[in-house]
Amino acid sequence: MSRIFNSMRDGKGFDLILVGAAMVFLLALAGLPLVYNVVMSFQQVDMFTLGSLVRPFAGFANYVAVVQQPEFWLVTKNTLIFVFASMAGQFIIGFALALFFAQNFPGASTIRGLFLVSWVMPGLVVGGIWSFILAGDYGVLNAILKGLGLTQATIFWKSDPNFSLWAVVIANIWLGLAFNMLLLSVGLAAIPRDLYEAAELDGANAFQRFWTITLPMMRSTIGAVLSLGLIGTLQQFDLFPALTEGGPANTSNVAGYWAWQMSFQLYDFAKGATISVMMFVLVLFASVVYVRSTRHEVRG
Amino acid sequence: MKLRTLGLMAGIALSAMGMAVPTMAQTVIKVWSIDGANSPGIGDTLSAEFNEQNTDIQIEYRILPFDDIVNEALRAFATGNAPDIVSLDNPDFALFSSRGAFLDITDRVAASEIIKTENYFEGPLNSVMWDGKLYGVPKYTDTIGLFYNKDLFEKAGIAEPPKTWAELVDTAAKLTDPSTNTYGITFSARAGEEGTFQFLPWIQMAGGSYENVNVPGAVEALEYWKAMVDSKSASQDVLSLGQWDSTGTFNSGNAAMAVSGPWELDRMSEDAKFDWGVALLPTQTEGGPRSSALGGFNYGIFANSKNPDDAFKVLEFFISQDERLFPDFSSLPARNDIALPETGVALKDAALKVFQEQLQYAQPRGPHPEWQKISKAIYDAMQATLTGQMSAKDALDQAQATIQGIVG
Repeated sequence: MSRIFNSMRDGKGFDLILVGAAMVFLLALAGLPLVYNVVMSFQQVDMFTLGSLVRPFAGFANYVAVVQQPEFWLVTKNTLIFVFASMAGQFIIGFALALFFAQNFPGASTIRGLFLVSWVMPGLVVGGIWSFILAGDYGVLNAILKGLGLTQATIFWKSDPNFSLWAVVIANIWLGLAFNMLLLSVGLAAIPRDLYEAAELDGANAFQRFWTITLPMMRSTIGAVLSLGLIGTLQQFDLFPALTEGGPANTSNVAGYWAWQMSFQLYDFAKGATISVMMFVLVLFASVVYVRSTRHEVRG
Repeated sequence: MKLRTLGLMAGIALSAMGMAVPTMAQTVIKVWSIDGANSPGIGDTLSAEFNEQNTDIQIEYRILPFDDIVNEALRAFATGNAPDIVSLDNPDFALFSSRGAFLDITDRVAASEIIKTENYFEGPLNSVMWDGKLYGVPKYTDTIGLFYNKDLFEKAGIAEPPKTWAELVDTAAKLTDPSTNTYGITFSARAGEEGTFQFLPWIQMAGGSYENVNVPGAVEALEYWKAMVDSKSASQDVLSLGQWDSTGTFNSGNAAMAVSGPWELDRMSEDAKFDWGVALLPTQTEGGPRSSALGGFNYGIFANSKNPDDAFKVLEFFISQDERLFPDFSSLPARNDIALPETGVALKDAALKVFQEQLQYAQPRGPHPEWQKISKAIYDAMQATLTGQMSAKDALDQAQATIQGIVG
């Protein structure tokens, strides 16, 4: 008895308790909802069975129905464009800003801190602000573009099918920019200065130093930033209702918002769950690619 | 003798006290509505007044946001925690009534002194019916008409508002003036219920219905809408603007006409610095069949209410206050036996007369348990056409195929 008690305080038992606590936490808060969602995607759900677990089995009917929706391929394409364009924009501009503020000019760190304002703001507020900026007839951006003589026609950012998705992408890049910059700045600061000094003595120019020192040293940071960016972008929801509501004609609709529309506007909870399971598979695939691509460089 | 009288009086006083403080527990009736979130509304005000009457029924009132009330009610019903009374937007009503989630109150209403079905407009009444039975009572109603800026009409030499669709497109083109940032017309073709709300009347005027959306006249109507957007008689932003924002551009003088409803009257009386009026929606041909959208909310009692009789009493109290809907809450009663009092604002009173007439032609959306999906098929078709992704015919054919799959 006391041996068990002792082992629980210090030993295998203690390890088991720690692992167990973590697993219970994970299962209860992440596992169960996930399983519930997957189960729901194989069931018929209506208002009478909404509160119960046991519902009529639907097989793959929900999946077939989702793929057969006329907007399915459009939403898939939009999701991919939204994710890659947002991530590329956030990362490239974020990296550029991080490099810029790494130059250590007076006030650099203060101004860099101010950039975080965009990240601290709630998505709905950001959406509201960009909604003013991107408005068609009386929009700020249009006024600027016209003032600069770049365009004479009014660009209906939110109502033109050619621009609507990009309107959300622009707002999302702005929203995620500061977060990317901050993480990349931390990575930059961790690179030892003497590497650069040595390279400079050897006659490496700025581009060579960036390509052979900065990028390789930043690999794990970049991997983390990109995977967080992917998750953040797929999760992005607030900007859609605030800016375009997925319109016009679904041209700016993405999987996450579509799943919400299915569940909470059309009250088709099974299809909503189905779309989110499909999204989950996509994220899982991306995570596997990420883990595989960074696995070989884990050195103690 | 004297002592006896005193004892008697004491006895009476005691029993009176017993009556004043009921020993029996009060019944609590839960009422959910969206009223009272920003300013005092119908549900919260009437509930408070009811509770002040101190009957053995007390209302527990809860405000829910418009976007959440259907979801909350669904979830509450599924888990057995539904309120007794809920007030829902009329197209959402059939989701509950068709599945028997609401109490069938046909017999109760037939016996009621206060609620009489013959007093209600046909459209609102249809929205609470399912399968010939009555599942609720209309709370208030609204509809849409054509607002027009009389000053701009006069300047352009146009005597009266357009009567037909073709005239509407012509008039809108004439009134459009890019140099003053004026569009001929504004409406809401948003991807949502508001878009369907505004376009369905046109399908109905052409002889179609929500079950039959690709009639030739509906295709023609959608082509007219597209013509107005393409020729810039209407801003392309009608695709993303809701009715409130869309009509805002009319109030500021940036659109000469606006399709909107009586909920605008108060704001317009304040904001619009010009002479304006309201006309009935133009018809397909001169003197052709009229139609309009039917807005507004309904009351329903949940089928699993533990005190349906008391809930019905509360409902009767709400309805008994219908005369106050317009003077106190600027809402139109869905009844033909209540005359609206003059407000003293000439433009508003004239507009109200038109809306009351338009209400005669208002048809409910549905009722259908899967209304939201039907609605999406309609606004998707509208948006696909207006953005040039599909022709009006193809888009409405696709919508019809989707709707066919839903209504069977």
